[in-house]
Amino acid sequence: MSDTTAPRMRLTVTHELVLLIALFVSLAVLSVTAERFMSVGNLLNQGRLMTEVALVALPMTFIIITAGIDLSVGSMFGLSAIMLGVFWHNLGVPLPAAMALAMLVGTAAGFFNGLLITRLRVPPLIMTLATLALYRGLAEGISQARSVRGYPEWFFVLGQGEMFGVPTQLWILVVAIIIFWIVLTRTTFGRSLYAIGHNETAARYSAIKVDRIKLIIYSLSGFMSGLAGVIFVSRVSTTRSDMGTGLELDVIAAVVLGGTSIFGGVGTIAGTVLGFTLIQLLKNGLALTGVKGDATIVVIGTVLILSILITNFLQHRRGGDG
Amino acid sequence: MSDAILKLAGISKSFPGVRALSNITFDVRAAEVHALLGENGAGKSTLIKIMSGVYQPDEGVMTLDGGTIAFNSPQEAQDRGIATIYQELLLFPELTVAENIFMGHAPKNRFGAIDWSTMREEARKLLASLDIHDLDVTSMVGTLSVGNRQRVEIAKALSHNARILIMDEPTAALTEHDVERLFGIVRLLRSRGVGVVYISHRLEEVFLLADRVTVLRDGEFVATKPVSETDHDGLIEMMVGRRLDALFPKTEAPLGDVVLELENVTRQPLTKDVSLKLRAGEILGIAGLVGAGRSELAEVIFGMTPAESGTIRVDGRNVRIGSPSAAKRLGIAYVPEDRGRQGLVRPMRLAENVSLASLGRISQGGFLNRQSEATLARKSIDQFRVRASGIDQIVSKLSGGNQQKIGLSKWLATEPRILIMDEPTRGIDVGAKAEIHRMMSELAQEGMAIIMISSELPEVLGMSDRILVMRGGRIVAEVDRADATQESLAAAMMSDASASMAVAAE
Repeated sequence: MSDTTAPRMRLTVTHELVLLIALFVSLAVLSVTAERFMSVGNLLNQGRLMTEVALVALPMTFIIITAGIDLSVGSMFGLSAIMLGVFWHNLGVPLPAAMALAMLVGTAAGFFNGLLITRLRVPPLIMTLATLALYRGLAEGISQARSVRGYPEWFFVLGQGEMFGVPTQLWILVVAIIIFWIVLTRTTFGRSLYAIGHNETAARYSAIKVDRIKLIIYSLSGFMSGLAGVIFVSRVSTTRSDMGTGLELDVIAAVVLGGTSIFGGVGTIAGTVLGFTLIQLLKNGLALTGVKGDATIVVIGTVLILSILITNFLQHRRGGDG
Repeated sequence: MSDAILKLAGISKSFPGVRALSNITFDVRAAEVHALLGENGAGKSTLIKIMSGVYQPDEGVMTLDGGTIAFNSPQEAQDRGIATIYQELLLFPELTVAENIFMGHAPKNRFGAIDWSTMREEARKLLASLDIHDLDVTSMVGTLSVGNRQRVEIAKALSHNARILIMDEPTAALTEHDVERLFGIVRLLRSRGVGVVYISHRLEEVFLLADRVTVLRDGEFVATKPVSETDHDGLIEMMVGRRLDALFPKTEAPLGDVVLELENVTRQPLTKDVSLKLRAGEILGIAGLVGAGRSELAEVIFGMTPAESGTIRVDGRNVRIGSPSAAKRLGIAYVPEDRGRQGLVRPMRLAENVSLASLGRISQGGFLNRQSEATLARKSIDQFRVRASGIDQIVSKLSGGNQQKIGLSKWLATEPRILIMDEPTRGIDVGAKAEIHRMMSELAQEGMAIIMISSELPEVLGMSDRILVMRGGRIVAEVDRADATQESLAAAMMSDASASMAVAAE
């Protein structure tokens, strides 16, 4: 390798390589231990189950790259799901419009996070911890513990249907991955995210509109949570106020497993994609092998710790004492 | 002359791709101040890190009191009486002065618990022995001034019975007054037999303080000489390997129209009723003590902290500068004082830093053009003679002078018409300094309007066409280049009475 190859690029590529190897090892082991695992039907179904976490993990990658965090995604997810039911069932809004409005509610919730984070300089961790409770409370208050059912058949195409033999939501996910990947790697917006994560002060002194960018990514997080919420309702055919509880943990685990640094400045969409794929395959494969739920969580936790150790080891070997 | 306590012979050290030191000879005697000079990247930092046990040399021998030694950690060097005070002070801001001094080796009572009263007493004694009587050992270090923190760090080093004290650019962030006190302490230590290794970019300090001087260049040993046998120009020649004709090559540039005008601009707490005019081709120097409100004024003009009242005109038109991006659109650029915190994103690549303020220029519709970015970065490297392995080098790996060049070229890439430079040459070596000055001069020739904030009076006097002196957020004096002297400026910076005299003398 020549001197001009960027160390940061080499580093992330290496981390992704580690994940890729882990992914193939898991696939190999699980296909032997669980007969039904390595079938097209099962794998596509896993893609279906994974989509909601995956859609939210994409904007979460952006946010964590800026050294921020959004803990309220599960609650925004739940709130959007509830509002879909409320708009359509209680207020009589046509379903397509209700879907749009539900996503708009998610976006507004994210925008509110961003507004307080940028205007009042509340740390994202505190702000979104507060709205995690707030939005969940709103969802429960509005729904009053009643679930909404009886959606029309066409609505289930989104969460249960297929296009060209592939689950509908997987197409949405693929498009979203491509868009997020292009934005992060090819645009001034993506570049600004890295700069903010490494050194927010210097980014401000470079005339980068830091507050506006933060507002956009937190709103985006709300929007994607809303979209995931709507897809989830379509997948499970019902709306309940506790939907998406604990979603933030799965999402953050996937992003961090993907090599995005919680300290900011480092992370890729490819890493995140590998992160959520690996977690989903482990969950499914272990379940099919007959491992109990508790043990599955232990395995996933172990994989997370191992991946971080390996990354740290690689970083130290590259002499990161700059 | 006493014998050397610490001797280094034939020391070499390489890092992947770089030979940082080759065949260096260096020694420290008891009761001397030994200055270590060299441009940034000459290997001074590596050498002191070898002496203090941070790095191990690849080749060569170190002897302490005649016996061969090899340190495996800074702790070992400290135990053998070699203490180091780095530029970034390594103190705990949330702990008291006494706790910091005795961090890791606090006096214990017979129950094995920390003996607080003895600790405070010992801390007081240590400080008193350094002729420091105005420092409360129970105050939090975080509340102290930089000068006081440094004194705490020195006391901490002495609490380990240091016989050799290595000081890496101790005066870089100090005020004039603190520098005086530091010199007093260094001389006191010398009289007590401590060998001091002193690194500085300010040659005057070498002549004031040092007994011997060693010069490094590009990782090689150039010479060790008694200070009495060298002079200013001779040292510079040894450092850069060539003669610098003039350190301040400001040439007369034709002054153009007024491009920036401030009228009664106020932003509390440190910009009060400021009025000034800046012409194309002019270098306007702003002098003042630390805390006089110079950087704050720059941040008002740059929109970082927008003006609360008053009028700002660019090219004669009233403008409101509410954000740095608004300032950038008006052609205003600001190269801030603190490279690491404000000026650069040091973990990112050189090319990414150069383009960061002008992303709009290297993109179409928000999409980056990597080709244009690489071209821009290469142009900056050539234009500024940046010493880097390539456009993909991580900026934190560059020397201070080269980092400063990147900070400047990043803003020149926005093609500004008004350039504000805050301490443009602080902490960088003589060669890089001359290049930055030459650059500023050329920019002024091309019609750039420049505001230069500097704490170095020779620099202000040498580079400026006109000088404003600030104190307490106000402009207290305006002096033409021809009339300014170091004394008149210093007087205006310090006191009300003399300031009005300086104004009257105009």
